[in-house]
This record gives sequence, structure tokens and C-alpha cells, in this order.
Amino acid sequence: MIRRPIKPGTRITLAIVSVLVLCGIYTLLSVRQHHKNPNDTTIPTWSQIGEGIKKSVTPQPGSGEIILWEDGVATYVRLFEGLFIAVGAALVFGIAMGCYAPVEAVLQTPLSIAAKIPPTAMLAVFFVLVGINQGFFIAMIVFGVTPTLAQAIYQSAKKDVPEELLNKAATLGASQGEQIWNVVFKQVLPRLIESVRLQIGPAMVFLIAAEYVVADVGFGYRLRLEGRKVNFNIVYFYLGLLGASGFLIDYALLTARRKLCPWFGR
Amino acid sequence: MNSRTTKLFTTCAAALTVGAFALTSGCDNSSSPSESSAGSTTNAGDEAPPVFSLAWSEYPSWSVFGVAEMKGLINGKEGELGPVEKKWNVDIVLNETDYDTCINMYANGAVDAVCITNMDILNPSMGRTAVAILPTSTSFGADACIVTGIDTIQDLKGKKAYGLEASVSQYTFVRNLEIAGENPADYIFSNMDPAAAAQAMITQQAGYDAIVVWNPFVLETLKQRSDAKVLFDSTKIPGEIIDMVVAAKDSLDKPGGDRFAEAVIDTFYQLNEMLADPETGDETLVALGSKFSSLGLEKMKVVVEQTKFYKTPAEAKALFDSQELHTTMDKVTGFCKDYKIIEKVPAIAYGGSKDEPLTFTSQYIDAVMEAGE
Repeated sequence: MIRRPIKPGTRITLAIVSVLVLCGIYTLLSVRQHHKNPNDTTIPTWSQIGEGIKKSVTPQPGSGEIILWEDGVATYVRLFEGLFIAVGAALVFGIAMGCYAPVEAVLQTPLSIAAKIPPTAMLAVFFVLVGINQGFFIAMIVFGVTPTLAQAIYQSAKKDVPEELLNKAATLGASQGEQIWNVVFKQVLPRLIESVRLQIGPAMVFLIAAEYVVADVGFGYRLRLEGRKVNFNIVYFYLGLLGASGFLIDYALLTARRKLCPWFGR
Repeated sequence: MNSRTTKLFTTCAAALTVGAFALTSGCDNSSSPSESSAGSTTNAGDEAPPVFSLAWSEYPSWSVFGVAEMKGLINGKEGELGPVEKKWNVDIVLNETDYDTCINMYANGAVDAVCITNMDILNPSMGRTAVAILPTSTSFGADACIVTGIDTIQDLKGKKAYGLEASVSQYTFVRNLEIAGENPADYIFSNMDPAAAAQAMITQQAGYDAIVVWNPFVLETLKQRSDAKVLFDSTKIPGEIIDMVVAAKDSLDKPGGDRFAEAVIDTFYQLNEMLADPETGDETLVALGSKFSSLGLEKMKVVVEQTKFYKTPAEAKALFDSQELHTTMDKVTGFCKDYKIIEKVPAIAYGGSKDEPLTFTSQYIDAVMEAGE
């Protein structure tokens, strides 16, 4: 029975059923809460959530802003800027550590210590060091994600790259730079993508935490504001969107990995 | 193969359903502790007092309840009673959490009463009928706009003032501009957590020349930056920002609900007597400020000046029974409507049947006074 495959159709059906069951549980909770208090807004009914969605996507009277658009752009620009820098830094650190023992000796200890400090615990430190501007959000993500990513890449550069391949490349006349680019990087790439997939969640945690405190636009800002105003219909809609967009990013990365590194497996 | 698939399918579905039931029934137990325990007391037969919960966050006139527990007046744990609880035969459970969570716990029905301001109760009251049973303090300088390098209100024009949006900070900001004859639309209020805003100013970050925060951040910022000064504060609007204790009508309607309200009020006044007593006053004040900030005794004396306690039943009644409270609430609801903090203005009653979303009543304060005599 272990690892016995199931039909693709069954797989999809089961996935849909599990989501439906989740919705069912939510409906149950909501109905129960509204039975206790018909005016409740903390566990909104589906129609209340519908109103929340409508409010989020229609232009605000006066300013004409669509809050979902404003928040989405702000949050995802911050997220991708942060991730972009984090991945770049982690690649450089990780590959350098995997290839050169002195770099490894210097960076290994600080990185493993840094990887264990949650940036949410350092919010106050970032205020002072970075200041409060766009850089603040990016710093949260970069400091939060880079150490872990760099460690994963370093491990991969050390273990996933067969010695023979490096030797072969060297005997064929590849320079160190060519060995790194053509052998190490190519071997590390699927691990990198897998690690980024795992780090999207933490990156989002750090970003939302930062937005909760200092942003005047963005998902974290809206979640806190609407939570305080007890507009949970907007809160749940936003949470759903965070989940869905995370799912999509994850899927996109998975697809990219399959396309770029078909040899790595499913 | 086909039958196996079906079997697998049903197993998964069954597992998910069981999970669903476990989840919903689990929530049933946890979401309304007071309700379930209040229910069990009637079955118990040994006349255990009914249990009611109060959510509070760290603020001078609300920390009173935490200090009351420290001093042994009440016991905030379920099943254990302090003298005041014994007097009123009711078990008060204290839930300390941060302010936003307090609001949500009240709205969700997870607690029976909450420490909240007259502005922040508007939204929750439309979901869960609210009764303001006790004013604890009013902001008289505790909310302030602090500036550096800005001398007049006009200089503030075009500069960003940082503070928590849709909160009493924004209210202080807008009301002061109105009083100064300015059009609030000409000024920019930008969202930021007050602790962060204060820190931005203290660490001299560029662009943070104006912040609107509350205590302890007002005093903390002034202490740490000598060139910072108060441009305006809530002394211009005394009695408009009211810190209070609000109980849900559904909780007050439960057996012992009245006694719960009275016990909370009694606790508040007993601790205020300790504060007023020259022998115990300083010590109690330090206890009150211990978690609030790192400000010492002298600064705490300023804090309680700026957060004026309604320390006697007479002062509380003078506020709750006054005509002024009506105009205040009109201003507050008008502001909340204008700034889209509320979608519609809830009906507010002053005394009476408690059927409106929000009722202010001094009935429970009266009951405590009568019992005291």
C-alpha cells in the first residue's frame, strides 16, 4: 500500500474535496456564531465576506483608490524586492562557502547564528539601523531569509556537486569561474528553487509583521486596521488571498524548477 | 483498483469530517469559557459563584485591575476568589492582552467585559450590544502631537504626522486642527504604530518631524529628545476621549451579571482609594506603572495627571449623567463617520433599557454606592 499511486482524477477530486471540507467547517463555525449572535462580524457569513470583497475591489468614494490594488502592489513589490536581494546574496554566500574552505570557515558560524534570530524579534533594532522606509521592509525579508537560504545552498554546493564533475571540467580546461557557473550553479539551482519555495512563507511572516507596525499601505496594514474595526469580512478575504497567492507563487517556482532542471525529478 | 480507490476516498473523507467535528467542538469549549462555566455552576449545586471575564490591556486606568489582583483585592484566576469577589459572590477572570486583541475578544464574545475607549467601542457595539458601565479616565494630555523644528500648527501643513490611523491619536489630531480653525484636509496623518513613531523620532530619523502618540510614548519621547515639544494635545478636548469598562448586554443579562458589573466597579474605586491614601499611594502608583513604562514615580505622577482618573463615583456620575456626554459622543461618531472608521453611526442611549447598540449607564455605579453605605 505504501507509495501506491492513485489516478490523476482521484488526486484532483481529493484536493477539491479537502478544500470544500475546509469551507464547510468554516460555514459551520460561522453559522454557530451567528446563531449565538446574529449581528456578529468576527466570523462573517459568506454573504458578509462577499460585501467585504466588494468593498475591497470597488473604488473608494472620494479618493477613487481601490484598496486591494494599492495593498497588493505595495506588499508584493516589497516581497519580491526583498526576495530578489535575499536570493542574490544567498547564492553568492552559499556557493562561495561550498567552493572555498576559508570562506566556509569564516561565514559558517555567523550564518548559523543569524539564521536562528527571528527578524520579528529584531524589529526595534531595524528601526535604528535601517530607518523606517521601503528599505525597512526589504531588510526584514533579507535578514530573515538570507542566512537560511545561504546555508541550504552551501550544503548543496558541497554535497550535490560530484567531485568527478568538477575534475572533469577542470581537465577539459574550465577556469574556476567556468566550473562554478557551468557545474556548481547548475547543480545547485534546483535546490535553490526548492529552498526559495520553503522560504516564501517565512518571508511573508516577516513582511506582514513589519507592515503591521509601520506601513500605511499593504496587506499587514489593512489586516490590522480592519481587525481593529472588527471588519473581519475583509480580514478573511485578505487571508484567503495571501493563501492563494502563496500557492500560486509556489506552483510557479515548482513549474520553473521542472522546466529548468528536468533531471532533478518531479 | 477501483474499489481500493473508493475505499481510500471514503477513508480520507471520513478523516476530514472527524477533523472538522473535532475542530468545531473544540472551539465550542474554548471560545466562551465564561458561558460554559456559568452554565456548570447551576448544575454544581455547591453554589460556586458565576464566572465572568474582563479583558484589559496595559494602560494606567486599566492596569488598576492588574494591580488590584497584585494587592489581593480580586483573584483573576477562575475558581479562586479575592475579598471583593466574595463580597459580590462572583468570580472575575482577568484576561490581559494587547489592546487590539481586547477589541476582537469582546466582538467575538470571548469575554464578558472589556477595557476600551468611547471611540473604539463603536464598531464592536454594532456586532455585540454594549453597555458602558464605568468611566475609568479621560485623556488630558496623554495623547499629544510632538514635533521637532516646527513652531506653529501652520508649519505642520504639508508635513506628515505619524500616528495610529483610526485611533484616538487621529481624533486628537483632527479635533485640535478644528479647534485651531484649520481645515484637517490640508494636513497629512500617516499610519504608524505609536511605539514605532516614537522610536523614529527618538532615533532622529529623517522626515519624522511630527508624531501623534499616547503615553508612555509622549513622555518617553520628550524625555529622550530635548528639542522635541508638544504642539498640541488632548488638554484642548477634556472629557472627549474616555477610557472605560464596557460589558456586553448578553453577559449582564446572565444570572449574576449585575453583580459582576458592580464587583468590577467596586474594585476600581477600592484601588483608587489606595492611590489617594498618602500611606499606600506612591507604592500603588509604582505598581500601576511597573509594566506600563520605564518611567519612574515622578513621571508616573505626570502620567496620572494626563490620564485623569474618574476616581470617585461622583466624578463618574457627573460624566455619565451629563448632557455634555451627548455632545461628546456626537463629535466622536461624526469624526468616525467622516474618516470611515464606522460605516454607520450606532444609536446611543444614555441610561434606560440597554437595547441600543451602545448604552451609557451609571446604574451599576449607583448600586455600588448604595451597597457601600
